[in-house]
Amino acid sequence: MKDDASNFLPLAPAALHILLSLAAEDLHGYGIMQDVARQSEGKYKLRSGTLYDNLQKLIQRRWVEELGQRPGDDDPRRRYYRLSSLGRGVLAAETARLATVVREARLRLQVAKPRRA
Amino acid sequence: MLRFLYQGLLRLHPPAFRMRFAEEMQSIFDQVTERSARVGLLADGFLSLLRQWSMRPEFWHEFASGGEHAASDGIPSFYTLDPYRPRAAAVVHGLILTMAVFCLTCFAIAYGWIHVLHVSIPEVQVESSPSVVPGAAAAIPDEREVASRPGDRTQDDFSGSSRSSQAPQTQAPDPKPFTAAEQNARGISRPAPPGRAGRRARRASAFNTAQNTASQPKGAPESSSQQIASLGSGPAGTPVQPAASALPLVPNTKIEAAERHRVIEAAVADLTRYYVDPDVAQKMAAALRAHEKSGDDDAATDGEAFADLVTQQMQDVSHDKHLMMIYGAAIAPESPQPPSAADIAAYRKEMERTNCRFEIVRVLPRNVGYLKFNAFPDAEICGPQAVAAMARLNDVNAIIFDLRDNPGGYANMVALIATYLFDRPTHLNDFYDRDKNTTEQSWTLVPVPGNKLADKPAFVLTSHLTFSAAEAFSYDLKMLKRATLVGETTSGRGHMAMGRRIDDHFMIRVPDIKVVNPISKTNWDGTGAEPDVKVKAADALATAEKLAESKLRGK
Repeated sequence: MKDDASNFLPLAPAALHILLSLAAEDLHGYGIMQDVARQSEGKYKLRSGTLYDNLQKLIQRRWVEELGQRPGDDDPRRRYYRLSSLGRGVLAAETARLATVVREARLRLQVAKPRRA
Repeated sequence: MLRFLYQGLLRLHPPAFRMRFAEEMQSIFDQVTERSARVGLLADGFLSLLRQWSMRPEFWHEFASGGEHAASDGIPSFYTLDPYRPRAAAVVHGLILTMAVFCLTCFAIAYGWIHVLHVSIPEVQVESSPSVVPGAAAAIPDEREVASRPGDRTQDDFSGSSRSSQAPQTQAPDPKPFTAAEQNARGISRPAPPGRAGRRARRASAFNTAQNTASQPKGAPESSSQQIASLGSGPAGTPVQPAASALPLVPNTKIEAAERHRVIEAAVADLTRYYVDPDVAQKMAAALRAHEKSGDDDAATDGEAFADLVTQQMQDVSHDKHLMMIYGAAIAPESPQPPSAADIAAYRKEMERTNCRFEIVRVLPRNVGYLKFNAFPDAEICGPQAVAAMARLNDVNAIIFDLRDNPGGYANMVALIATYLFDRPTHLNDFYDRDKNTTEQSWTLVPVPGNKLADKPAFVLTSHLTFSAAEAFSYDLKMLKRATLVGETTSGRGHMAMGRRIDDHFMIRVPDIKVVNPISKTNWDGTGAEPDVKVKAADALATAEKLAESKLRGK
């Protein structure tokens, strides 16, 4: 199943952070929450309700795959999640979009700077 | 106590969500020991409860996708409903509640002074429009769709694209203009342009290589035997392969003068060969070389900065927003693969899900038709929806097309919808391909039998977010004096650009096809389509309604 990623851009902050967390490694829900807090230096607190609401959508869009439980984990209730190749593509698209925004913003802020007489 | 409350909250969630995530949410709650954090989770759980019941009806019964989980040992495990058999008392309560709600609803329908229920039965206008596909009209919702808006920022050109011939034949929207025989005999398939990815590739969205066919109007001269089928792809109208999903995000590497020189020479070669305006291409080439010679590029020692600098240098000369040097890693393969059957199926599914982006089909006061659509999707797939929408508006006295949120799409849909405004096949546009030195024509189709809109006043609402094929529709109708444009100047994207690979890290996006209107002999690129009545986009509908009213009164 492939989807038109650009239809879903820009991503909501929660979805972006979740995809970003899973880009590095497979994680369980609590791991994602901790990683998001680390990414944003504690400025963005993703809580479980928001996390699973987003995971539900991301799984449905097939951007994230559910891996199930891992034997030997501290808590057997944990399930792990993995970024799919489609999700990786969406993340790359969003990152590129943000890069364009940042570049444009820099350009405009530079232009807006008062020139020295 | 908090744990007990949280557990209760989780139990109140929709069954599908609860079965899938409640355990994990509880596990997270147990892991958190700090009281304030637990209170935060509780509040978030409450919000989640409201959200799940009010905004996520599509997931309420989603057992199918949640029912199968690959277990860690690779053997899939399945949920069954057995452990969730409801208690007998619950069934009785449910029965009583259902009866009560049913009786109340019947009472409200029969005696309510406000008609809370509008049950609209789709009408099939057999006499006036034999082309209507039964049931298609039912697919047109009257209320705004909740589907995601097309990513209008990503649509930046007509990327001419064509669906590969193995694409499944779709139900023709109109037996007359879209017979399979005509499609095969007269329609053309523009070859999938290799590397037509450009900035989209950089965005790691996929390449659109879908192929269209469009039928030749019967009245069109034989010399115009070729007709551009697609004004391009966009967020709305693009079968997509996630080819770019493998794009790695690489660090920005340093580049040397030799590489800069090589990139500039490749850019010069591509510009002089492909750019739609050869004179401007020469000027840009000279400017790039002059900058290099004078050492202006020396400061740009990393790839991204250099790409931006070259982009700026090219745009300073051409003022063409499509021209761009792009830096990335392994941006595009030499020739993108045509879309697979799965891509086409995914596109079709997405279109079905969003009703082909036809958002509102409505008859306004004074019998003015209003059609808001947020893309020009492939007519081969969305023809029935377009035909049904137009059929529903067949008896109006005037028609308003709302393109304020329309980022464009396919030329065959432009031609299909425009067909309803003319009583004969009408020449809309020419597409000039610099590289091939060919010009292809786009015409409206054979008039639809029973169509009553050909002589009715038409209005097109535009905004600065009206892009690409939507601009073509606006501009063409304006040039043909067939519609009054109301709103803002459109974005000004009238070229089709293609990304061309220079090396693993650099790509250049060169507009190589331009749209030429047969009346103005030019297009709207850079300037946008100017409205006849300039008002803010937000006021465009009210203004158009007033204009329609005064026009109808004057008749």
